[in-house]
Amino acid sequence: MAMGRRLSRLLDRSLLLSTGPWLVLLLFFLVVRVSKGAPLADLYAQLSRPFWPGSAQSEWLKESQHLEDQQRIATLEGRLARLEQDQQLRNQAGDWITAPVISRRIEGWWQQLELGAGRVQGIKTGAVVTGPGGVLGRISSVTPSTSRVQLLTDPSSRVGVELQGGKGHGLLFGEGSSRPLVKFLNNDVTVQPGDVVVTSRASSVFPANLIIGVVQSVNTQAGPAPQGLVQLSAPADQIDWVRVR
Amino acid sequence: MPDRSWWRLQALILTSLLLLLLTIATPAWLRLDGMPPSWPVLWLLPWAVVEGPIAGALAAVLVGLGFDSFYGQGISSIPVLVLLALWWGQFRDARRPLERSTTLGLQALLGSLLLSASFALQLHWRGGSVALAWQVSLAQALLTALLAPVVCSVQVLLWRRLTPDDGR
Repeated sequence: MAMGRRLSRLLDRSLLLSTGPWLVLLLFFLVVRVSKGAPLADLYAQLSRPFWPGSAQSEWLKESQHLEDQQRIATLEGRLARLEQDQQLRNQAGDWITAPVISRRIEGWWQQLELGAGRVQGIKTGAVVTGPGGVLGRISSVTPSTSRVQLLTDPSSRVGVELQGGKGHGLLFGEGSSRPLVKFLNNDVTVQPGDVVVTSRASSVFPANLIIGVVQSVNTQAGPAPQGLVQLSAPADQIDWVRVR
Repeated sequence: MPDRSWWRLQALILTSLLLLLLTIATPAWLRLDGMPPSWPVLWLLPWAVVEGPIAGALAAVLVGLGFDSFYGQGISSIPVLVLLALWWGQFRDARRPLERSTTLGLQALLGSLLLSASFALQLHWRGGSVALAWQVSLAQALLTALLAPVVCSVQVLLWRRLTPDDGR
C-alpha cells in the first residue's frame, strides 16, 4: 500500500508540470551538443542576415579571385609558349651532329673552338655545342666544312642560366678565364658552392635545362645581387669531339 | 731566271700563309701560360723595318684582315697594326737600321703590349672584360719578345736580300 502511495506521488501532475520544461531544455542542449551547435549557427545566420556586411567586400573578393585566375592563366600560357618554343627548337634542330675539334684558341682574348664539320654536315649558326658533361658554347660562324664555336668562357659570351631546381636566375658572363662569372638577378637567391647551373627556361637561344657547370665560389657581398664563379662541367681544353644541334 | 721581285712575292705569300697557319694552330710547346706569341707583330716588324711605312701599313691591313677573320668578333687588330707599321717603317731610312736582336725584341715587346691593350680597350667598350688581362698580355709580350730576335732577325735578312732596291 505504502509503495503505491509513493508511486502516485512521483507521478503527481503538478510535479510533472514543474519539471517538464527542464527536461525539454535538457533535451535541447543535448541536441545542440551532439550537432556541434549547428541549429544555433543556422539560427544565428537567419537572425543576423539583415546585418551582414554590404556587397562591396564580396565584390572585392570576387575581383581578386578573378585577377588571381587571370594571373594563373597568363603564367600557364607563358609556360606553355616556352614549352612549345623549346619543342619547336628541338624539332627544327633535328639530330645531334658529331664533330671533331680541329683547333682550339682558348687563350685570354678569345675562347673559340674550330670544328671539322660545317654547313655540308648540317651545322647552322647559333646551334648549341655540347661536350661530355655539358654545354660548351654556340656556333658563331660556319663554312662549308668547318664551324667556329664561341665558348661560354669567351669575353663576349652572355647566357641566361638558372640554378637547378629553379632556385635562382642569372646571367653567365665569359671572362676569358676557364671559370665564367654568374651574376644573379635577384638579391634573395640562396646559392651555395656545389649548386648545379643549367641553361635557363627563359632563354630563347639555348634549350632549357642543359647542364653548364657547378658553382665553385659565391660572393654574397657583390652588389646588387650575389655573384659566383662557375666550374664548367665540359672543359674545352680536353674535349676532342663535340655534339652540335 | 725569276728576278728578286718574283722571289719576294713568293716569300711574301709563303710567310703570310705560315703566319695564318700558326695563328690557327700554335703548338702547345710554343705557348706561355696558354698564350701564343703575337704572330702578326713578329711578321709585321721585319717587313715594315725593311720596306718602309707605306708598304708596312698596306701589309698591316692585309695581316690584320687575316688575323681578324680567325678571331675578330667585332674586335679588330687593324688600327694598331697599321700604327705599328707606320712607326716601324720610319726605321727604314734611319741612320742606324733597326736590326740588333735586343732592339727587335724590345720593339716586338712594345708592339705586342699595344696590340693587347687595344683588344682590352675594344672589349671594354663592348661591355666585356678579361679577368686576367694583365697576365695574358704580359705572357704574350714576353714570349713575343723572346722569339723576336730569332724570328725577326731571319726575316729582316730575308727581306733585305729579296728587296729589289738593295742599296737602302
